[in-house]
Amino acid sequence: MKKRIAAAILLLLILGATLVLCRSRYDYAFQDRDAIMAPASAQHWTGTDELGRDRTVRVAAALLIGLTGAAAAAAITTMIAAFFGLLAAFSPRWVAAILMFLSDVFLSLPWLFLLMMARSLLPLTASPLETAVSTFLILAALGWPACARAIYRGASVLRSSEWMIQGHACGLKTRQLIRLHILPHLRPLLLPQFLICLPAFIVAEANLGALGLGVGEPVPSWGAMLLELDNSALLARSHWVYLPIALLAAVLLILESFTTEAETNA
Amino acid sequence: MHIRGGVVTLPMIIAKRAGRTLLLLLFAAGGTILLVRFAPGFFSDSREMDAKYAQAAQAEIQAENSQQQSVIQIAIREVKSWLSGDFGQSRQYHVPVAQLIGARVRISAVLLAQGIFRGWLLAICAALPISALRKGAVLWRLPFTILLAVPTAAMATACILADRGGPVLVLSLIIAAREFNFLRSLLEGAWRSPHLLQGRAQGMSPRALVTLHILPNVAPQLCALATLSIVTALGALVPIEVIFTVPGVGQLAWSAVMNRDLPVLVAVSLLMACVVGFAGMLSTRTVNLEAA
Repeated sequence: MKKRIAAAILLLLILGATLVLCRSRYDYAFQDRDAIMAPASAQHWTGTDELGRDRTVRVAAALLIGLTGAAAAAAITTMIAAFFGLLAAFSPRWVAAILMFLSDVFLSLPWLFLLMMARSLLPLTASPLETAVSTFLILAALGWPACARAIYRGASVLRSSEWMIQGHACGLKTRQLIRLHILPHLRPLLLPQFLICLPAFIVAEANLGALGLGVGEPVPSWGAMLLELDNSALLARSHWVYLPIALLAAVLLILESFTTEAETNA
Repeated sequence: MHIRGGVVTLPMIIAKRAGRTLLLLLFAAGGTILLVRFAPGFFSDSREMDAKYAQAAQAEIQAENSQQQSVIQIAIREVKSWLSGDFGQSRQYHVPVAQLIGARVRISAVLLAQGIFRGWLLAICAALPISALRKGAVLWRLPFTILLAVPTAAMATACILADRGGPVLVLSLIIAAREFNFLRSLLEGAWRSPHLLQGRAQGMSPRALVTLHILPNVAPQLCALATLSIVTALGALVPIEVIFTVPGVGQLAWSAVMNRDLPVLVAVSLLMACVVGFAGMLSTRTVNLEAA
């Protein structure tokens, strides 16, 4: 029930954001020079930022970009984790030991520091779209070690199960067994991993953006929206500046509720 | 403790863990060097885009950067700098890295210690009564769930805007939000254990139950969790120090990544990996002791 309500709210938010982007006469990068730091009005429902860009459109775009990027990154990281986890589980012990040690090396540095380091090493001349794609790709590339460990443990248990021995005895190859039997059995483990990564990646992008290392301007992102809060002149004029942070917290709460339920089910 | 017929002594366990941690540190340092060297932006230097540098100066910067291209050369230089104890020369501040880090470690350590201590105090004070509740626990858990949904940077910015609290408060809230759920489930399990039910049936006061039975029983797990809080706190350190302009290691790390200051970056990576490795070693040791 709780999950359904959360899913309905999230769907409504996504539909609302899509509608705003489709119906609005402004682009997220359009600068209305006559309405710089304007309060809420009929033209700009939630006002504009310091460059005269419509806040409603930018928040809607940030929501869609954040969710799409995080979902894609979470899917990629879950796939990488599944690959390494399964490779470790179905390889000789020394391969598993090397792979798990590799994941330990990744885990030996704090997540945000590692992200910050990887993200900052991209060329200074990258386009906004490239920065957006690379930010989420870096999240995907660095998020797999913890998931891989969980999948390795799960797959190791399944490998020694009786039906696996039966499958081997029937002449099925390891690849066939993984595709037909192991992966479906690992689904209850893979789905929570994906759902855990989703809010974690959104938060990571917001933190990176707030440090100036996230998605480049003028592409809207949660991190860039948080940077608006540094502008005291803007804060004095409109309370709508707080809209992105409120919406971000709401989205994260919804995603956290999915995570909790998935973890419980797993 | 026996493994394969032989007795594994405490020094052997410590030596094994220390060896693994040392290997992790070496790999973390090597990984940082490789990551920095092969990153597409390795040859970009923000100074090359700065108009205040004359053409001659920019040519000098380019020549200086082109000398540092080989991974082997970088690695040898780094190892030499570790052995000399100064960890190399910072590219942006032109001072020994050890001197830069030394001045900031104390500030970050104090911030971490205060944040972790207060965060844990808050989490325990909230988790103890909430774990004993039979109804309405969801409502009491809500503040921690909301805190979990607010990014560190947003929380720090909100504190600055409200002109209330500071880096310690933000760090404490982050630690409390992260650890509250673990603590609550741990304590819920403890409340349901048969000897606690017996104690309750015999009319023992909740205070006596908590001090005499619950806390001593969950102490090893609490210690293991507390050491892992260091990792959470280290992750939050960078945005907190940057937003509150605290001159600590987190701010130095941020400044190093913004300016591609490789010697500082490698030294900070080593320091962080060292702390995380040590925390991991402690938490494993605590769990081992509990199992024994």
